[in-house]
Amino acid sequence: MAMLVVVTEAVPPRMRGRLAIWLLEVRAGVYVGDVSKRIREMIWEQVQALAEDGNVVMAWASSHESGFEFQTYGRNRRQPIDYDGLRLVRFLPEEHN
Amino acid sequence: MGFIPLKPIPEKDRMSMIFIGMGQIDVRDGAFVVIDEVNGERMHIPVGSVACLLLEPGTRISHAAVKLAATVGTLLIWVGDAGVRLYSTGQPGGARSDKLLYQAKLALDDSLRLKVVRKMFELRFGEEPPSRRSVEQLRGLEGARVRKTYQLLARQYGVKWNGRRYNPTEWGASDVPNQCLSAATACLYGITEAAILAAGYAPAMGFLHTGKPLSFVYDIADIVKFETVVPAAFRVAARNPPMPEREVRIACRDAFKQARLLQRLIPMIEDVLSAGDIEPPPPPPEAVPPAIPEPPSIGDAGHRS
Repeated sequence: MAMLVVVTEAVPPRMRGRLAIWLLEVRAGVYVGDVSKRIREMIWEQVQALAEDGNVVMAWASSHESGFEFQTYGRNRRQPIDYDGLRLVRFLPEEHN
Repeated sequence: MGFIPLKPIPEKDRMSMIFIGMGQIDVRDGAFVVIDEVNGERMHIPVGSVACLLLEPGTRISHAAVKLAATVGTLLIWVGDAGVRLYSTGQPGGARSDKLLYQAKLALDDSLRLKVVRKMFELRFGEEPPSRRSVEQLRGLEGARVRKTYQLLARQYGVKWNGRRYNPTEWGASDVPNQCLSAATACLYGITEAAILAAGYAPAMGFLHTGKPLSFVYDIADIVKFETVVPAAFRVAARNPPMPEREVRIACRDAFKQARLLQRLIPMIEDVLSAGDIEPPPPPPEAVPPAIPEPPSIGDAGHRS
Protein backbone atom coordinates (compact mmCIF):
# COMPACT_ATOMS: atom_id res chain seq x y z
CA MET A 1 0.00 0.00 0.00
CA ALA A 2 1.29 3.42 -0.91
CA MET A 3 -0.03 6.96 -1.02
CA LEU A 4 -1.49 7.88 -4.39
CA VAL A 5 -2.37 11.27 -5.90
CA VAL A 6 -4.22 11.76 -9.17
CA VAL A 7 -4.70 15.19 -10.74
CA THR A 8 -7.09 15.52 -13.65
CA GLU A 9 -7.69 18.38 -16.08
CA ALA A 10 -10.52 18.71 -18.59
CA VAL A 11 -11.66 15.10 -18.20
CA PRO A 12 -15.32 14.06 -18.60
CA PRO A 13 -17.50 14.03 -15.44
CA ARG A 14 -17.99 10.26 -15.56
CA MET A 15 -14.26 9.76 -15.21
CA ARG A 16 -14.20 12.07 -12.18
CA GLY A 17 -17.06 10.08 -10.70
CA ARG A 18 -15.26 6.84 -11.44
CA LEU A 19 -12.12 7.96 -9.57
CA ALA A 20 -14.29 8.90 -6.57
CA ILE A 21 -15.23 5.21 -6.24
CA TRP A 22 -11.82 4.51 -4.69
CA LEU A 23 -10.18 7.88 -3.99
CA LEU A 24 -11.11 11.06 -2.19
CA GLU A 25 -11.54 14.24 -4.24
CA VAL A 26 -9.88 16.80 -1.97
CA ARG A 27 -9.98 19.66 -4.52
CA ALA A 28 -11.59 19.90 -7.94
CA GLY A 29 -9.94 17.17 -10.00
CA VAL A 30 -7.41 16.25 -7.29
CA TYR A 31 -7.75 12.74 -5.84
CA VAL A 32 -5.93 11.15 -2.93
CA GLY A 33 -5.81 7.59 -1.60
CA ASP A 34 -3.71 4.77 -0.19
CA VAL A 35 -3.71 1.77 -2.51
CA SER A 36 -1.70 -1.28 -3.48
CA LYS A 37 0.23 -1.56 -6.75
CA ARG A 38 -2.46 -3.72 -8.25
CA ILE A 39 -5.20 -1.23 -7.49
CA ARG A 40 -3.05 1.64 -8.75
CA GLU A 41 -2.62 -0.14 -12.07
CA MET A 42 -6.34 -0.82 -12.24
CA ILE A 43 -7.04 2.89 -11.60
CA TRP A 44 -4.57 3.84 -14.34
CA GLU A 45 -6.40 1.58 -16.79
CA GLN A 46 -9.58 3.45 -15.94
CA VAL A 47 -7.79 6.78 -16.51
CA GLN A 48 -6.52 5.71 -19.91
CA ALA A 49 -9.92 4.46 -20.97
CA LEU A 50 -12.00 7.36 -19.72
CA ALA A 51 -9.85 10.52 -19.88
CA GLU A 52 -10.60 11.24 -23.57
CA ASP A 53 -9.13 14.65 -24.51
CA GLY A 54 -8.32 15.61 -20.93
CA ASN A 55 -4.97 15.13 -19.25
CA VAL A 56 -4.04 13.33 -16.06
CA VAL A 57 -1.01 12.90 -13.85
CA MET A 58 -0.72 10.17 -11.25
CA ALA A 59 1.96 10.20 -8.52
CA TRP A 60 2.60 7.61 -5.84
CA ALA A 61 5.01 7.01 -2.99
CA SER A 62 7.79 4.54 -3.78
CA SER A 63 11.27 3.59 -2.67
CA HIS A 64 12.88 5.61 -5.49
CA GLU A 65 15.55 8.16 -4.71
CA SER A 66 12.97 10.91 -4.90
CA GLY A 67 10.54 8.89 -2.77
CA PHE A 68 7.85 8.88 -5.44
CA GLU A 69 7.14 8.09 -9.07
CA PHE A 70 4.66 9.57 -11.49
CA GLN A 71 3.17 9.04 -14.92
CA THR A 72 1.06 11.17 -17.20
CA TYR A 73 -1.71 10.83 -19.71
CA GLY A 74 -2.60 13.36 -22.45
CA ARG A 75 -1.02 16.68 -23.37
CA ASN A 76 -0.01 19.29 -20.83
CA ARG A 77 2.42 22.22 -20.77
CA ARG A 78 4.26 20.47 -17.99
CA GLN A 79 6.21 17.60 -19.44
CA PRO A 80 8.20 14.97 -17.60
CA ILE A 81 11.84 14.68 -18.66
CA ASP A 82 14.57 12.25 -17.71
CA TYR A 83 17.41 14.26 -16.18
CA ASP A 84 20.41 11.99 -15.45
CA GLY A 85 18.06 9.26 -14.35
CA LEU A 86 16.00 11.62 -12.26
CA ARG A 87 12.53 12.46 -13.52
CA LEU A 88 11.92 16.19 -13.55
CA VAL A 89 9.29 18.39 -15.17
CA ARG A 90 9.84 20.80 -18.05
CA PHE A 91 7.42 23.69 -18.52
CA LEU A 92 6.73 24.45 -22.17
CA PRO A 93 6.00 28.03 -23.35
CA GLU A 94 2.40 28.96 -24.00
CA GLU A 95 1.13 28.12 -27.48
CA HIS A 96 -0.10 31.09 -29.52
CA ASN A 97 -2.60 30.31 -32.22
CA MET B 1 -13.23 5.19 -25.76
CA GLY B 2 -16.27 4.53 -23.67
CA PHE B 3 -17.07 1.58 -21.51
CA ILE B 4 -14.66 0.13 -18.99
CA PRO B 5 -15.98 -2.32 -16.41
CA LEU B 6 -15.94 -1.63 -12.69
CA LYS B 7 -14.62 -4.47 -10.54
CA PRO B 8 -14.32 -5.17 -6.81
CA ILE B 9 -10.91 -4.81 -5.18
CA PRO B 10 -9.71 -7.31 -2.51
CA GLU B 11 -10.93 -6.88 1.07
CA LYS B 12 -7.37 -6.59 2.32
CA ASP B 13 -6.87 -3.37 0.32
CA ARG B 14 -9.87 -1.67 1.89
CA MET B 15 -10.78 0.50 4.86
CA SER B 16 -13.00 -1.15 7.43
CA MET B 17 -16.36 0.61 7.51
CA ILE B 18 -18.35 3.80 7.11
CA PHE B 19 -21.56 4.56 9.00
CA ILE B 20 -24.09 6.75 7.20
CA GLY B 21 -26.70 8.29 9.48
CA MET B 22 -28.76 10.62 7.31
CA GLY B 23 -29.30 11.74 3.76
CA GLN B 24 -30.25 10.49 0.35
CA ILE B 25 -27.71 8.04 -1.05
CA ASP B 26 -27.44 8.20 -4.81
CA VAL B 27 -25.08 8.04 -7.77
CA ARG B 28 -23.81 11.23 -9.45
CA ASP B 29 -21.47 11.05 -12.44
CA GLY B 30 -20.88 7.44 -11.54
CA ALA B 31 -19.78 8.19 -7.96
CA PHE B 32 -21.45 7.14 -4.70
CA VAL B 33 -22.81 10.23 -2.96
CA VAL B 34 -24.76 11.12 0.16
CA ILE B 35 -26.93 14.17 -0.36
CA ASP B 36 -28.19 16.25 2.54
CA GLU B 37 -31.22 17.90 0.99
CA VAL B 38 -31.74 20.33 3.87
CA ASN B 39 -28.29 21.91 3.57
CA GLY B 40 -27.75 21.06 -0.09
CA GLU B 41 -24.46 19.33 0.73
CA ARG B 42 -23.04 16.42 -1.21
CA MET B 43 -20.54 13.95 0.27
CA HIS B 44 -18.56 11.46 -1.80
CA ILE B 45 -18.08 8.01 -0.32
CA PRO B 46 -15.17 6.00 -1.75
CA VAL B 47 -17.49 3.01 -1.86
CA GLY B 48 -15.03 0.69 -3.61
CA SER B 49 -12.39 1.27 -0.95
CA VAL B 50 -14.43 0.20 2.12
CA ALA B 51 -15.38 -3.28 3.27
CA CYS B 52 -18.90 -2.35 4.35
CA LEU B 53 -21.29 0.55 4.64
CA LEU B 54 -23.61 0.60 7.64
CA LEU B 55 -26.80 2.50 6.89
CA GLU B 56 -28.56 3.86 9.96
CA PRO B 57 -32.15 5.07 10.29
CA GLY B 58 -32.49 8.36 8.42
CA THR B 59 -30.93 7.21 5.16
CA ARG B 60 -32.60 6.49 1.84
CA ILE B 61 -30.73 4.72 -0.90
CA SER B 62 -31.45 4.66 -4.61
CA HIS B 63 -31.48 1.63 -6.87
CA ALA B 64 -28.45 3.00 -8.75
CA ALA B 65 -26.47 3.27 -5.51
CA VAL B 66 -27.31 -0.29 -4.46
CA LYS B 67 -26.25 -1.48 -7.89
CA LEU B 68 -22.97 0.43 -7.65
CA ALA B 69 -22.20 -1.01 -4.20
CA ALA B 70 -22.90 -4.50 -5.51
CA THR B 71 -20.68 -3.96 -8.55
CA VAL B 72 -17.71 -2.91 -6.43
CA GLY B 73 -18.35 -5.75 -3.94
CA THR B 74 -19.13 -3.54 -0.94
CA LEU B 75 -21.47 -4.94 1.68
CA LEU B 76 -24.44 -2.72 2.56
CA ILE B 77 -25.86 -3.32 6.03
CA TRP B 78 -29.08 -1.73 7.21
CA VAL B 79 -28.81 -1.28 10.95
CA GLY B 80 -30.78 0.28 13.78
CA ASP B 81 -29.61 3.08 16.07
CA ALA B 82 -25.89 2.80 16.89
CA GLY B 83 -25.64 -0.15 14.55
CA VAL B 84 -26.85 -2.55 17.17
CA ARG B 85 -29.85 -4.12 15.45
CA LEU B 86 -29.31 -5.56 12.04
CA TYR B 87 -32.23 -5.42 9.64
CA SER B 88 -30.87 -6.57 6.33
CA THR B 89 -27.76 -6.88 4.23
CA GLY B 90 -27.30 -6.26 0.58
CA GLN B 91 -24.68 -8.58 -0.81
CA PRO B 92 -25.92 -12.01 -1.79
CA GLY B 93 -23.58 -14.74 -0.66
CA GLY B 94 -23.12 -18.11 -2.19
CA ALA B 95 -21.23 -17.04 -5.28
CA ARG B 96 -19.06 -20.13 -4.97
CA SER B 97 -20.81 -23.48 -4.72
CA ASP B 98 -17.50 -25.32 -4.14
CA LYS B 99 -16.83 -23.19 -1.07
CA LEU B 100 -20.38 -23.61 0.24
CA LEU B 101 -20.27 -27.38 -0.17
CA TYR B 102 -16.88 -27.46 1.54
CA GLN B 103 -18.22 -25.44 4.47
CA ALA B 104 -21.35 -27.64 4.65
CA LYS B 105 -19.33 -30.83 4.60
CA LEU B 106 -17.19 -29.57 7.50
CA ALA B 107 -20.27 -28.52 9.47
CA LEU B 108 -22.24 -31.72 8.89
CA ASP B 109 -19.60 -34.24 9.93
CA ASP B 110 -19.22 -34.27 13.73
CA SER B 111 -15.52 -35.17 13.77
CA LEU B 112 -14.67 -32.52 11.13
CA ARG B 113 -16.75 -29.94 12.98
CA LEU B 114 -14.86 -30.68 16.19
CA LYS B 115 -11.56 -30.17 14.36
CA VAL B 116 -12.74 -26.78 13.12
CA VAL B 117 -13.99 -25.77 16.58
CA ARG B 118 -10.68 -26.86 18.15
CA LYS B 119 -8.83 -24.69 15.63
CA MET B 120 -11.04 -21.72 16.53
CA PHE B 121 -10.27 -22.32 20.21
CA GLU B 122 -6.56 -22.50 19.47
CA LEU B 123 -6.48 -19.29 17.41
CA ARG B 124 -8.52 -17.50 20.00
CA PHE B 125 -6.69 -18.43 23.19
CA GLY B 126 -3.26 -19.00 21.68
CA GLU B 127 -3.05 -22.59 22.92
CA GLU B 128 -4.44 -25.95 21.95
CA PRO B 129 -7.60 -26.93 23.80
CA PRO B 130 -7.38 -29.97 26.10
CA SER B 131 -7.71 -33.15 24.06
CA ARG B 132 -10.72 -35.44 23.90
CA ARG B 133 -13.30 -32.76 24.59
CA SER B 134 -16.60 -32.50 22.77
CA VAL B 135 -17.83 -29.29 21.14
CA GLU B 136 -20.18 -28.95 24.12
CA GLN B 137 -17.33 -29.17 26.63
CA LEU B 138 -15.21 -26.73 24.63
CA ARG B 139 -18.09 -24.29 24.70
CA GLY B 140 -18.18 -24.55 28.50
CA LEU B 141 -14.44 -23.90 28.73
CA GLU B 142 -14.79 -20.96 26.38
CA GLY B 143 -17.65 -19.40 28.39
CA ALA B 144 -15.66 -19.49 31.60
CA ARG B 145 -12.62 -17.93 29.94
CA VAL B 146 -14.70 -15.23 28.30
CA ARG B 147 -16.26 -14.16 31.60
CA LYS B 148 -12.82 -13.97 33.16
CA THR B 149 -11.41 -11.96 30.25
CA TYR B 150 -14.22 -9.42 30.51
CA GLN B 151 -13.51 -8.97 34.22
CA LEU B 152 -9.80 -8.70 33.64
CA LEU B 153 -10.10 -6.10 30.86
CA ALA B 154 -12.70 -4.12 32.82
CA ARG B 155 -10.33 -3.93 35.77
CA GLN B 156 -7.42 -3.00 33.50
CA TYR B 157 -9.32 -0.05 32.00
CA GLY B 158 -10.96 0.93 35.28
CA VAL B 159 -14.54 0.16 34.23
CA LYS B 160 -17.27 -0.95 36.63
CA TRP B 161 -18.37 -4.33 35.29
CA ASN B 162 -21.49 -6.31 36.19
CA GLY B 163 -21.35 -8.81 33.35
CA ARG B 164 -22.38 -8.75 29.72
CA ARG B 165 -26.02 -7.70 29.81
CA TYR B 166 -27.95 -6.17 26.95
CA ASN B 167 -31.40 -6.02 25.51
CA PRO B 168 -31.37 -5.92 21.69
CA THR B 169 -34.77 -4.23 21.61
CA GLU B 170 -33.90 -1.50 24.10
CA TRP B 171 -30.59 0.16 23.33
CA GLY B 172 -30.68 2.68 26.16
CA ALA B 173 -31.54 0.16 28.87
CA SER B 174 -28.04 -1.26 29.42
CA ASP B 175 -25.14 0.44 31.20
CA VAL B 176 -22.47 2.43 29.33
CA PRO B 177 -19.84 -0.36 29.13
CA ASN B 178 -22.45 -2.73 27.67
CA GLN B 179 -23.65 -0.09 25.21
CA CYS B 180 -20.06 0.46 24.09
CA LEU B 181 -19.55 -3.28 23.71
CA SER B 182 -22.73 -3.66 21.64
CA ALA B 183 -21.71 -0.83 19.33
CA ALA B 184 -18.19 -2.23 19.03
CA THR B 185 -19.23 -5.80 18.25
CA ALA B 186 -21.63 -4.45 15.59
CA CYS B 187 -18.61 -2.92 13.82
CA LEU B 188 -16.69 -6.18 14.03
CA TYR B 189 -19.64 -8.21 12.72
CA GLY B 190 -19.98 -5.85 9.75
CA ILE B 191 -16.44 -6.32 8.48
CA THR B 192 -16.43 -10.02 9.37
CA GLU B 193 -19.56 -10.63 7.32
CA ALA B 194 -18.06 -8.70 4.41
CA ALA B 195 -14.95 -10.90 4.62
CA ILE B 196 -16.94 -14.16 4.82
CA LEU B 197 -19.01 -13.20 1.78
CA ALA B 198 -15.93 -12.06 -0.14
CA ALA B 199 -14.24 -15.37 0.62
CA GLY B 200 -17.26 -17.16 -0.86
CA TYR B 201 -18.72 -18.71 2.32
CA ALA B 202 -22.14 -18.58 3.98
CA PRO B 203 -22.57 -16.31 7.04
CA ALA B 204 -25.38 -18.46 8.48
CA MET B 205 -23.53 -21.78 8.52
CA GLY B 206 -21.76 -21.73 11.86
CA PHE B 207 -19.71 -24.28 13.81
CA LEU B 208 -19.98 -23.15 17.44
CA HIS B 209 -22.91 -20.84 16.88
CA THR B 210 -26.06 -21.95 15.14
CA GLY B 211 -29.57 -20.84 14.31
CA LYS B 212 -28.84 -17.22 13.38
CA PRO B 213 -28.31 -15.58 10.00
CA LEU B 214 -24.82 -14.60 11.19
CA SER B 215 -23.76 -17.76 13.07
CA PHE B 216 -20.48 -18.16 11.16
CA VAL B 217 -19.85 -14.42 11.53
CA TYR B 218 -20.03 -14.83 15.34
CA ASP B 219 -17.68 -17.83 15.14
CA ILE B 220 -15.03 -15.90 13.23
CA ALA B 221 -15.52 -12.58 15.03
CA ASP B 222 -15.12 -14.27 18.43
CA ILE B 223 -11.57 -15.29 17.51
CA VAL B 224 -10.42 -11.66 17.38
CA LYS B 225 -13.02 -9.95 19.57
CA PHE B 226 -10.92 -9.73 22.72
CA GLU B 227 -7.81 -8.41 21.01
CA THR B 228 -9.67 -5.70 19.07
CA VAL B 229 -13.14 -4.39 19.90
CA VAL B 230 -13.48 -5.32 23.58
CA PRO B 231 -10.43 -3.30 24.72
CA ALA B 232 -11.56 -0.46 22.41
CA ALA B 233 -15.04 -0.48 23.96
CA PHE B 234 -13.71 -0.52 27.53
CA ARG B 235 -11.28 2.28 26.78
CA VAL B 236 -14.18 4.43 25.57
CA ALA B 237 -16.46 3.37 28.42
CA ALA B 238 -13.82 4.35 30.98
CA ARG B 239 -13.98 7.96 29.77
CA ASN B 240 -17.80 7.93 29.82
CA PRO B 241 -18.15 10.30 26.82
CA PRO B 242 -21.43 12.00 25.85
CA MET B 243 -21.64 10.18 22.49
CA PRO B 244 -20.24 6.71 23.15
CA GLU B 245 -21.21 5.14 19.77
CA ARG B 246 -19.27 7.68 17.77
CA GLU B 247 -16.20 7.30 19.96
CA VAL B 248 -16.49 3.52 19.84
CA ARG B 249 -16.50 3.49 16.04
CA ILE B 250 -13.36 5.60 15.88
CA ALA B 251 -11.69 3.37 18.46
CA CYS B 252 -12.75 0.25 16.55
CA ARG B 253 -11.41 1.59 13.26
CA ASP B 254 -8.07 2.24 14.98
CA ALA B 255 -8.09 -1.23 16.54
CA PHE B 256 -8.82 -2.88 13.17
CA LYS B 257 -6.04 -0.91 11.54
CA GLN B 258 -3.60 -1.78 14.30
CA ALA B 259 -4.46 -5.48 14.23
CA ARG B 260 -4.38 -5.44 10.39
CA LEU B 261 -7.74 -7.17 10.60
CA LEU B 262 -8.89 -6.69 7.00
CA GLN B 263 -5.69 -8.36 5.81
CA ARG B 264 -6.05 -11.19 8.33
CA LEU B 265 -9.74 -12.11 8.16
CA ILE B 266 -9.90 -14.07 4.91
CA PRO B 267 -6.66 -16.03 5.55
CA MET B 268 -8.01 -16.73 9.06
CA ILE B 269 -11.29 -18.08 7.69
CA GLU B 270 -9.38 -20.36 5.32
CA ASP B 271 -7.07 -21.41 8.15
CA VAL B 272 -9.96 -22.36 10.43
CA LEU B 273 -11.72 -24.38 7.75
CA SER B 274 -8.54 -26.10 6.59
CA ALA B 275 -8.26 -27.62 10.11
CA GLY B 276 -10.81 -30.17 8.87
CA ASP B 277 -8.06 -31.42 6.56
CA ILE B 278 -10.30 -32.09 3.59
CA GLU B 279 -10.24 -30.70 0.06
CA PRO B 280 -13.11 -28.63 -1.34
CA PRO B 281 -15.27 -31.15 -3.21
CA PRO B 282 -14.66 -31.25 -6.98
CA PRO B 283 -17.70 -30.84 -9.23
CA PRO B 284 -19.39 -34.14 -10.13
CA PRO B 285 -18.23 -35.45 -13.52
CA GLU B 286 -21.66 -35.11 -15.10
CA ALA B 287 -22.06 -31.47 -14.03
CA VAL B 288 -22.35 -28.87 -16.77
CA PRO B 289 -19.52 -26.30 -16.71
CA PRO B 290 -20.44 -22.65 -17.25
CA ALA B 291 -21.33 -21.75 -20.83
CA ILE B 292 -19.69 -18.36 -20.36
CA PRO B 293 -16.74 -18.64 -17.93
CA GLU B 294 -16.22 -15.85 -15.42
CA PRO B 295 -13.55 -13.37 -16.51
CA PRO B 296 -10.52 -13.14 -14.19
CA SER B 297 -11.00 -10.59 -11.39
CA ILE B 298 -8.65 -8.78 -9.03
CA GLY B 299 -11.25 -9.08 -6.26
CA ASP B 300 -11.76 -11.96 -3.82
CA ALA B 301 -13.17 -15.39 -4.68
CA GLY B 302 -16.69 -14.59 -3.49
CA HIS B 303 -17.02 -11.28 -5.32
CA ARG B 304 -19.60 -11.70 -8.05
CA SER B 305 -18.78 -9.05 -10.59
